[in-house]
Amino acid sequence: MSAIVPIGIVLLLLYAVLCRVRIFSAFLEGAERALLLLKKLIPCLAGMLVAITVFRDSGALDALTRILRPVTDALGVDARLLPLILMRPLSGSAAIAVLSDLFTEYGPDSVVGKTGSVLLGASETLLYSLALYFGSVGIRKTRFAVPLALFASIVSVVAGLVFSRLFFG
Amino acid sequence: MDIVFFALIAIGIFAELFTKGGDAVLASLIGGAQTAVQNGITMAGGMLFWMGMFGILEKTPLMRRLSKALRPAIRWLFPDAGDASGAIALNLSCNMLGLGNAATPYGLEAMRLMEAENPKKGVATDSMCVLLAVNASCLELFPATLLGLRQSFGSTQSAVVVLPVLLSSACSTVLTVLLCRVCTRR
Repeated sequence: MSAIVPIGIVLLLLYAVLCRVRIFSAFLEGAERALLLLKKLIPCLAGMLVAITVFRDSGALDALTRILRPVTDALGVDARLLPLILMRPLSGSAAIAVLSDLFTEYGPDSVVGKTGSVLLGASETLLYSLALYFGSVGIRKTRFAVPLALFASIVSVVAGLVFSRLFFG
Repeated sequence: MDIVFFALIAIGIFAELFTKGGDAVLASLIGGAQTAVQNGITMAGGMLFWMGMFGILEKTPLMRRLSKALRPAIRWLFPDAGDASGAIALNLSCNMLGLGNAATPYGLEAMRLMEAENPKKGVATDSMCVLLAVNASCLELFPATLLGLRQSFGSTQSAVVVLPVLLSSACSTVLTVLLCRVCTRR
């Protein structure tokens, strides 16, 4: 399993060379976009992590988790994943911030870390795309787009949880 | 976002002020910002690597082949898309390869072309709704940003999430596409 990604990288490079792509300058172009993304991401990380840290240190997060425990237990969801699930549709960068917090706390290879990764990978920033796509062309009546997109997000979260349970126990 | 931010900070500050005092509150606030910088630096390596790789991928004809392969599916899903079907194909291809940032311009272009042909301006057409829904379900063949993030935080088995991500996004895409058909048939 672990060999798939490295082999894929070699195949991609080989294919690109055969297609006469200037691979080094193409790599630089792509990597530069990572810097632009980080430039936007770090302020968002700061805002979210300040809020999350003070919320957690104060004991409010524990209290909230305790209150929601019956609900999450009934659904079989790990309560530590709740902040991530709630944040995902609102903002992609904020969701990354929450997940990085889980990684620092429990490690990326813990069950929580892996399940969180699946949840982040399997769903999208719904509200942002809706606002951007419809706003850009001035659509005001969105008809069935919002319920459908919401449905897609919910199915993504549920499927992510189910498959995580199957794969990671 | 404003409401979320305010609620977290206000509740956090008040609760910590009463339980641990003002110094602890300030330590939490600054500590959070410091964690942000540390995490940002930590994830930079993985992101630089994967987005560099995608820079190469974008230059190969692979993207155009994928969007050509998607054509029949697009004609079936977006019967009234017209000129926009090319942009829709590129938007979906980018999304499937985890290139969210590259997908957005094509998505906006598709929206513009569809609105130009829209008989009722300001009211979303079937195809627009379907495009948004399919984007929200986001079938992901390869979650590159996620892998970079996991590796940056020292994961030794970063690739274990690829298959579950693929399966769960496939699930939601299939269900969403079916529901789209039901909605557009009416």
